[in-house]
Amino acid sequence: MSKELKTGREEKKTKYTAPIADIYETESEYIITMDMPGVDKNGIEITLDNNELSIMGTLENPMETENLKHAEYRLYDYRRTFRVGDDINGNSINAVMEDGVLTLNLPKKDEVKPRKIEITVA
Amino acid sequence: MITTFDIFDDVLKLRDMVDTFFRDTPSAGNRPYDFPYVNIFEKDDKLDLRAVLPGIKKEDLKIELNDRTLTISGERKNTCTDRPCIRRERSFGSFSRTFRLPYSVKGESISAQLKNGILTISLEKSDEAKPKRIEIR
Repeated sequence: MSKELKTGREEKKTKYTAPIADIYETESEYIITMDMPGVDKNGIEITLDNNELSIMGTLENPMETENLKHAEYRLYDYRRTFRVGDDINGNSINAVMEDGVLTLNLPKKDEVKPRKIEITVA
Repeated sequence: MITTFDIFDDVLKLRDMVDTFFRDTPSAGNRPYDFPYVNIFEKDDKLDLRAVLPGIKKEDLKIELNDRTLTISGERKNTCTDRPCIRRERSFGSFSRTFRLPYSVKGESISAQLKNGILTISLEKSDEAKPKRIEIR
């Protein structure tokens, strides 16, 4: 019985939502914005492993279900993985968490940025 | 009881099942509720509304109570209009949603808090809405 209860809890733990995201590209960087309501900045974990950028978000407070009378949504921890190209400078990724929205700035490597070539007149 | 068996009955049933599945499955643009989605909690005389509003600033949000109707309205501003978008899943724009409360609430004790994209509105039942005991003389 107790074993059953335990496994039930573990199953619950493995539920995730894939947060919805927008991706923008500029000359110098990629910007990913993701909706992760209920997560504060301490609950965010970002890892870049080879070409896989994974974002995990843990809810600050697990969703309460006690006294719930009308439900339209459910909150789970968030998890989403993006495959990124080789043109990203992995060391200078910047992340900002604000109002439940995570903004990631992925700067491009200098080699791929457009360059202006000065013409020197001899 | 004698029933006739029609080989197509099951086929039609299956078609209905598929139709129901596609019609009722919540997907983007086909949600049974309007934005923002809310969860309502009720305990004793307290009513809590929790709405998911990621990326919305306090200044862009308006909450109005009019007798027994509560309206949440505002605008979700697109912060990246000037940049080319290569993937778009989130939506922006103005929204408004009105709720009819089950009873009148104390206007002066309403509190609202916006944290991590979740808006919590706490309401309390007004004294007029509470059950009254009538003394028999």
